[in-house]
Order: sequence, then C-alpha cells, then structure tokens
Amino acid sequence: MDFVNTLVQGVMLGGLYALFAAGLSLMFGVMRMVNLAHGDLAVAAAYLVVVLLGSSFLPLWLVILIALPLFALIGYATQRGLFSRSLKAGPLSTLLVTFGLSIIVQNGLLQAFSADTRTIDFGALNTGAFRLGPISVSYLGLLTLALAVAVIAGVQLFPSRTRTGRMMRAVSDDADTASLVGANSRHLYAIATAIAFGTVALAGIMSGARSSFDPSMGPAQLIFAFEAVVIGGLGSLGGTLAGGAVLGLTQAFAAQIDPSSTLLAGHLVFLAVLAFRPQGLIPQRAV
Amino acid sequence: MVKQIQEALAKGFTAGGSNRKIEIIVKDTQSSSTRATAAAKELITQDQVDIVVGSGTPDTTNPVADQCEASGVPNITTIAPWEAWWNGRGGKDGEGFKYTTLFFFGMQEFADCFVPMWDRMGVSNKSVAALWPDDTDANAFRRGLTPLAGKGGYSMIDGGGYQDGATDFSSPISKFKAANAELFTGTPIPPDFQTFWKQAAQQGYRPKLATVAKVMLFPSEAEALGDLTKNIATDIWWSPSHPYKSSLDGTSAQQLADKFAQDTGKQWTQALGSVYSLFEIAVEAFKKSSDPKDKNDVADKLQKMNMTGMSGPLDFTKGPKPGIAIQHPVGGQWRKGTKFPWDITIVDNTANKDVPVGGDLEATNA
Repeated sequence: MDFVNTLVQGVMLGGLYALFAAGLSLMFGVMRMVNLAHGDLAVAAAYLVVVLLGSSFLPLWLVILIALPLFALIGYATQRGLFSRSLKAGPLSTLLVTFGLSIIVQNGLLQAFSADTRTIDFGALNTGAFRLGPISVSYLGLLTLALAVAVIAGVQLFPSRTRTGRMMRAVSDDADTASLVGANSRHLYAIATAIAFGTVALAGIMSGARSSFDPSMGPAQLIFAFEAVVIGGLGSLGGTLAGGAVLGLTQAFAAQIDPSSTLLAGHLVFLAVLAFRPQGLIPQRAV
Repeated sequence: MVKQIQEALAKGFTAGGSNRKIEIIVKDTQSSSTRATAAAKELITQDQVDIVVGSGTPDTTNPVADQCEASGVPNITTIAPWEAWWNGRGGKDGEGFKYTTLFFFGMQEFADCFVPMWDRMGVSNKSVAALWPDDTDANAFRRGLTPLAGKGGYSMIDGGGYQDGATDFSSPISKFKAANAELFTGTPIPPDFQTFWKQAAQQGYRPKLATVAKVMLFPSEAEALGDLTKNIATDIWWSPSHPYKSSLDGTSAQQLADKFAQDTGKQWTQALGSVYSLFEIAVEAFKKSSDPKDKNDVADKLQKMNMTGMSGPLDFTKGPKPGIAIQHPVGGQWRKGTKFPWDITIVDNTANKDVPVGGDLEATNA
C-alpha cells in the first residue's frame, strides 16, 4: 500500500510542478522566450498576498482573487515595457533581461522582507486530508492538482476557442503577416505574458501554503518548472502536465528507495529526456 | 543590540591603566561563508580591529575564526555546536587554537536537554523519529546523538539523509508512522521543517512530543507555522527568564529583552543574550590585559577566561577542548504569547537547575 501512497503523493507534487510550469510553457510557446525570472515572480506573488493580507481585513480568498489579476496586470506592463523591447534584439538579450529581472526581484524582496521564512496560512485546509486506508490525500495537494489541470486546460483551449487566442496563434506563427490583417502583436504578446504571470502567481501562492517561501528560493522553483516543461515537450501544455507528473513521481519513488537521491533522480530523468527524446514526451505546438 | 552595549559602556572602562572607549564595527555575513571570510578580512586589514566577535551557525563562526587565527587577531564566536567549530577547523587534541575561542554547547548537552523531556512523556516504545538531512549539522547529530540517546534506551528511526530544499517528505513520514515513533527530533533547515511539519499533519503523523534543534529558534518561524507551532519543544540556552545579569551594568535578562522590544518593536531571540555576552567577554579580556592593544596578551586572557554574565557562567578553561566554554540549554516549548503571537515557556530544567520552570511539559499532539 506504500506503493499506492507514494503514487498519490507523487502525482500531487507533480500537479504543483505543472502549475509552476504552465506559464513558462505558454511564454515559450507564444514568444519563444524563456523567462528566467519565473520562479522569483512566483515568490514575489506570495509576498504580495502576505502584504495584502497584512494591510487589510479582507479574507484570504478575496485577497487571492485580487492578487491574481493584479499580477496579470503587472505581467502585461512588464511585457509592454521591458520584454517587448528585448524581444526585438533577439533571444539572447531576452534571456539576459529576464536573468537581470530575477536578480532584481530576489534582492528587492530580501531588502523589503528580510530572509525570514514565510508561509500563507490556508487555515484548516493547510493540514486537512481525507484517508483511504493507509493513503492520505491532502485537500491542499488535491486542490493544487485540480487547479493545475484547470489552468492547463484553460490555457490550452484559449487559443483555439477565442478570437484573441486565434490571433495570438497567428502572431506566434508569423507576426508580420498577422499584422497585415490587423493583429497587434505587442498587445497579444502582452496578453500571453499576463496569463503566464497570473498562473505563476497562483503557483507561488499554492506553494507558499504547501511549504514556505523566502526571497532566495525562486531559482529552485524555476529549475523544477523548466524540467517539467522540457520533459513534457517544449511549448506543449498537455506535455507540461505530463512532465510535472513524471518529475513528481520520479522524486517521490526515489525518496522511498534512497532519500539522498530524491532531487538527483528528477534531474537524471530530465537529462535522459534531453538525450534520448529531446522533443519531449508529448511534442506539440502549444498555439 | 549594539546600541545597548554602547550605552552600557558610554563612560568607557579601565584597561591597561587608562580609561578606554570601545568602538564597534558591524558587518553582515548573510550566513554565507564566502561573505564571512571577506568581512573578517576587512575588519582585520582595513579597520585594524583589536578583537573580532561573531555569531550564528558554523557558516559564519568557522571562516571568521580561521581568518583571525591566521592573522593573529583575538576572536570569540558563539551559536555553533562546538564539534562543528572544532572538527570543522581541524582542531588538534591537546593543542587547541591560540587566538580563537567559542562558547556554546554540543551533542552531549543536546542529549541532556532532550532525553529528560522524552522520559517524561510516558511513550509506549522508545523509538525516536529523526529528520536528519544530508548536511554537516545533521550528520554531526546522526553520529553524535544516536549513541547518546542509546544510553537512555532510545533508538533513533532515521528518516534518511535527504537533500536540503526537499519538496516532499512522504517517505520519512511513512517510515516514522510504520515505526510508531511517538517522539520526534531533527535538524532540518527552517523552510524544510515548515514543509515537513505540515505534511506530517496532513498524512496523520502526530508525534506526542517534538524536540527539534536548529529550527524553531526564532519567533518568525513560529509565526510562519501558525497553529501547528503549539508545544513544539527546542533547546533554550538563553531566555528572559534565565536568572542572569550583565557583567557590564547589571541589566537582567528580562530587562535586556524588554529594552530590545521597546527599541526595535521586535520580540527577543536567544541570539540576543549570546551576542551580548560576546561583548561582555571582549571587554573583560581587555580589562584583564596589561595592554588591550597587545593581541597576544588579549588572546591569552580569552583562553583563560572564567566569568559570569548575561549568558551565565562561562569557563573557557574547563571545556571539552581548550578555548571552549560550555552552556547548558534547557527545554522550552512554544505557546501562545501575551505580548507576541508565540513565546517560549521553559518546561524542563534538568540540564540547568538555575533556570526556573515556567510551565508544565505538554504533549505536542495530544
């Protein structure tokens, strides 16, 4: 029964990784850019929730409902003001800009909030779980997994079911031609970034409730998100979900066998995919 | 903190036959050994200081001590298990270091603090769950605490040496549950403990008593964990209820904590008493020396130091190794506070009868 329990815990962990990875995958799919500040943005979003909670008497769910669109708005502005300029200068400069952003966010958070460990308190949800024999399924883990599936399904359907989404696809394929029929690539890219920021904010909040956060933990989050994206297939959202699950399961089972090899096992799977199946598990264009 | 030392020494003190004023230069090591080395070098070469004091984890104490030993500058550090300070720096038996000293405690004192609390819980089996990652501190506990706990009849259930920064603790939790370990101890890094303790609650691992080291030392950690903080026990080497007084101006431990809260709006931490004592010892060594500028003389006085101050009696001549003074931590539990959200209540003083008990030992999970 230990096997089943490990399986369940691994899948729920994978859900968190997939939620982290969704935004990274979307930005790569639409703009072919890798956002190295992705993990730090998740941490920043968690701090945003902490600040909003501390400075108002609003309940947590309302604060989250405010924080997510707010973060999406920040994403829109960042794309228009920062990323769109560097995108013109080529992929390397975008990489450097996001790397710089990562350092600025980390040190800004350290300056503002010190290195203390924080968490987001979901109350009873934090520790609640239901039991099926020896298996315990935490409500928080289940909620995270459900959110990951919903977010990825939503982001997957958006380009095919909505007008904005279809235009985004057109711009992603060929920005110049799409602009001939009236697509504003700068606006559409910014919308993609806004969605990515919104999802990473959600991931940061769920992770902050599940464990804890401090200003320096962004890069570690980025690595797991990046590995989930690559294992699943670059730019493929369905693949990202699968990639997160593979990563979570690998780590959970490795921990059962030898706790010291937990993280290493995940990295090895990542390496194996890069070496033997560089297109990922489910190769497919996202948009 | 530094402000209170400066106030206590505003009039200066007599050393080497004349009145001296002390100047304090503060550097932040950010608990990184690279930065600690750089900061110590700056203090020694640029600021030309007469003594270097430092505190907080072997990452700070060891590189700072190494720099001082190499440059011949007297040095006192604290808040690092003495084994990590001594072995980590290649200390040789019978020889010791010339310029560097430490006051804190080691594995024996951890055992003296934790085992009496375990004894009082009336558990059905003597299995103790141990969350020890694969890092320097935890490996020292794995090697050091296991035989000491064995003397009391306890066997450690090692959850396995995971890497710091782990995201999932299902594996050690299932191991602890399978062994029915009603006692829990560990030395995880603070973020990992937050994850572990929540997951343990989710997965139904509720030990009767948790006695942790290295984590849950600071109020910020207690606040972050929320209601799950209640009755987690840890080692307390200094608290406002310790019956100790400043050797500089007679300020009591309680007064020091109150003054700190008043000045900064922050809650006391154990580091407050330890850092205060660093300065007490430095001043005492200056006073005893014939010339406070003579580094060899001051270092010699440090090695022979035996004084009582904010951290209680500290005898550097009677330690397990030369230049080490031993403190005896007592057991404290986190409870809801009156002034601050969470506060420490001393619940077991077997290891140091000087410290009054403030409440009964309670089960972490009833």
